[in-house]
Amino acid sequence: MTHVTFVKKIKSDGTPCRKCAEVEDRLHSAGLMARIDHTAIADERDPDSEGMKLAAELGIDAAPFFVVTTNGARTVYTSYVKVLKEVLVAPISEAEEAKEILARNDDLDFL
Amino acid sequence: MMQVMGIAPPEIAGLASEYAARGPQELLELAFERFENIAISFSGAEDVALIDMATRIRPGVMVFGLDTGRLHGETYRLFEKVRERYGITLDVLSPDSLAVERLVRDKGLFSFYKDGHTECCSIRKVVPLKRKLATLDAWITGQRKDQSPSTRANIPVLQEDAAFSSAERRLVKLNPLANWSSADVWRYIRDNDVPYNELHAQGFSSIGCEPCTRAVLPNQHEREGRWWWEEATIKECGLHVAPPKAAPRSPRSGR
Repeated sequence: MTHVTFVKKIKSDGTPCRKCAEVEDRLHSAGLMARIDHTAIADERDPDSEGMKLAAELGIDAAPFFVVTTNGARTVYTSYVKVLKEVLVAPISEAEEAKEILARNDDLDFL
Repeated sequence: MMQVMGIAPPEIAGLASEYAARGPQELLELAFERFENIAISFSGAEDVALIDMATRIRPGVMVFGLDTGRLHGETYRLFEKVRERYGITLDVLSPDSLAVERLVRDKGLFSFYKDGHTECCSIRKVVPLKRKLATLDAWITGQRKDQSPSTRANIPVLQEDAAFSSAERRLVKLNPLANWSSADVWRYIRDNDVPYNELHAQGFSSIGCEPCTRAVLPNQHEREGRWWWEEATIKECGLHVAPPKAAPRSPRSGR
């Protein structure tokens, strides 16, 4: 039995994190939101918010991220594409994969 | 003695540190000794210096550029000048036309000003680049540490390409100019009469697509000439705990 938690961020000025909103949109438009069991908010204004506590506990320093629990074992995914491939087993477009490459490789910013 | 081809993973760190102190030409020599299936990625900017260096070592070197469809006329003209001057085959890669049409139909021609450049760059640059790199064993880039203190300060001269390697295919990336400054590159261009993009003479330092590139002022960092409208949000993914707000002073506690 697999349980998937999606952690999204609220920035210190109270606005939603753009990347998190983008990932959420992509989950919705791919019809995958129903497979997310729980959404936790990491509110930068509140270190006791569920998502901030999870991030601290798991040593994660960026959002969004996913916590996948399977038979009691927890795995953290910071890559949306990896969650799609390995957990949700959903098709990934070339453009989506490319977007992830850019997002995860800062040095490609001058391409 | 038989020539060793390729660069094995355990060799990479050692060679990177050995070649960090050597000139770009020496690294290019190593690259061409070790790899047959290797190409230079040319952006149409001052990385043209690499083509000049490389053609002196391997005259028929493979070079490719990414034509996003949004480049300046000056950049296209440089592509042609380079092709003629060095007698090379310059493989100009185009994005998938259906993906571009879909993006433009859904979001218009300037969506990047509203929701960032990632989506457009992914379609117009990264997908074609990924396809090209899937055919190579190694590639050579013009990346330099001084191009962006926040994102390129630690690039080595030689690395396994973590972004584009796959379980089936390991890719080596070489950055011969990593430790050169912009001034070093321009000295090379002048000394060797290398053709360059006319935009540089108009104040452009970093050159990308036309809508996403602007000239910079003297002493302004070249990074400020690209995607300037998103600077404030580009690094927004980190999780930072906001400092606790000072408790409002109670009238009773006031001195």
